[in-house]
Order: sequence, then C-alpha cells, then structure tokens
Amino acid sequence: MTDCEQIRESLGTWLDGELGRFEAEAVRSHVEKCPHCGEEKRQLERLQVALRSVLEVEASRMAFAPFWNGVQCRIAAKRSWFEDLSDWLSSALTPPRLAWAVPAVIALVLGVWSLDSFFYSGRSGAQRNNFASVDSIDTYGRNVALLREDETKTTVIWLYQNQEGENESSGDTDEKRPSF
Amino acid sequence: MSLPAILMKRGLLFSVFWYLAAGYSLAAEISTQSVQIKIETILASDQSDEFDSRLAPLQRQLKVMKYRSYRLLKEESQTVPWQGSAAFEIPGGRSLAVTPQEFRDKRLALKVGLQQGEKPLLDTTIRMNNGGNFLLGGPPHEGGALVISIWATAQ
Repeated sequence: MTDCEQIRESLGTWLDGELGRFEAEAVRSHVEKCPHCGEEKRQLERLQVALRSVLEVEASRMAFAPFWNGVQCRIAAKRSWFEDLSDWLSSALTPPRLAWAVPAVIALVLGVWSLDSFFYSGRSGAQRNNFASVDSIDTYGRNVALLREDETKTTVIWLYQNQEGENESSGDTDEKRPSF
Repeated sequence: MSLPAILMKRGLLFSVFWYLAAGYSLAAEISTQSVQIKIETILASDQSDEFDSRLAPLQRQLKVMKYRSYRLLKEESQTVPWQGSAAFEIPGGRSLAVTPQEFRDKRLALKVGLQQGEKPLLDTTIRMNNGGNFLLGGPPHEGGALVISIWATAQ
C-alpha cells in the first residue's frame, strides 16, 4: 500500500478530528504537498458540507419533541417488581447458564452440608448434635446415671458416692442425690 | 450440543471435583496426628447464686444439673497423640486420665479414667463429635459437686 492510499484511508477520520496528534500532523503535511490527496480532501469536505445542509433541512422538518417525551416517560415510569424479575429470569435462565447453574447448586448444597459437619468445632457445638455415646462404663460398684439432655444435646455421666464415705473430709452427703 | 448433554457433561465434571474433595476430606480425617483435650473443672453448689462468667458458653449445658451456683475451678489443655495418655489433676486429690483411641466417621473415641488417689472411681469409653464435649459429674467437693467438662478436638 502506497503512502497516498494510506493517507486517503485516514482522510475521513482526520477531517472528523479523530486522529491522534502525530498521525493528524502526518496527514496534514502530506495533503499540503500531494495534489491528488489535496483534491481528495477537498471532495470530502464538499461532500460533508452538502450532507450537513441536507440533514439540517430535513431535521428542521421533523418533530423531535414527542420522541423525547416518550423517552423521558419510559425512563420515569416505575416498573413493577414482577416485570424486573421476569426480565432478570429471561436473561439469567438461558440454556448455557442453566447448564452451569444446576450442577453448581448441587455442588454448593453438598459442599455446605459436608464442610459444615467436617469443620465445625468448638462450643457452638453445644447447639448441634453434641451427644456422646458410651461404649463401656465401669464404676467399680458405684451407682451411675447417664443423662442425654435433648435441649443442648449434652451427655452427662453422673457418679454417685457409695455408702462407705469415700468423699472428702468435709463430709458432704448432699451429693448422693441426683441433681437433675 | 443439547442442554441435557451439556448438563450431563458438567454434572460429571462436578462429580470428579466432588470425589477429589471427599478424598481430601477423608485423608484429612485419617491423618490427624493428635487430639487436643481440654478439661474444665467446675464446682456446682447450692451455697450461693453466683455464676462464673467464664462459664457462659457452658451455661445452657450446666443448667441441666439444677444447681444454683457454678464456679470454674480449673481449666487445662493438653495435646495428646493417638493412643497416648494425658493426665489431669482434679481438685480433691483426684486425677483424670484421657486416652484418645480412634477417629472414625467424624467421631472420636476416648478412654476416660477417674481416680481418687489410687482408687479408681470410673473407667469409661466414650464416642463424641470432633470438637464436642460431655460432662462428668458427681464427686463431692467443698459442699457441692464437681462437674468436669471434657472437650476433644482432633488436630
């Protein structure tokens, strides 16, 4: 492609003021020196002037007020939530998105369920199923009570003292009773 | 490609991901090296209406026992390897030995022994949720009863 061809391709953009500074300078200096490109430029300018005058005449005949009023009314009009939802659903539930959404939702549900049960720890566990199960128990002849309390999901092993008074020198007897 | 075909393909993709995640989770369960045992020794009595604010997280659990007053006497944590044993001193010349035995189905098995001096008071094997606790109570102390909260968390 010759210089002239490149310049002619850029002429329209240059005349519209859309070229960068250096490119615009290169086109301007070429057009000043090259008679063919200079002529091309003048033709384009004449065409622009002719088009502008035609458009201005036609535009003056058109009534734009109703058009702009309509646009403003549509902008100002409040849409119902149902219309918004309907628009959102129609754009969101396209087949490719649905194809991702279904397995993603399944994976998310399974993930939340399993991670919750695997990682939970600490005292908040008292609100969940914190029940302990007793595999074996030997109290060496003492009485024992095993309580599984539903509200807090707590397991309590309560050991009673035997009659031989093996407790401390303070000699408490009250602790023989179950407190729950 | 039709929607069912796309769904099937992506479902399979997520299944593979899921198997990998489940495998990782299982491996994590098997490879825990030790167990953190935390013992809170609490004096429950009817001698006052005091409730030790440090026991607030246990308040609902302790309420089961219908005492009026609860005071934290001692709190101690030890990290114990599997099959290893941790000994905790309990007020009143007692001692508690805890031996983590196994971790299966997200539940820990603990062997717990309570002694008074040389005399055994209780030997039990308990299965509990990882990070959970249970209460062992009854031994008399200072006009009330001791309640021992035993927590275990695999690490």
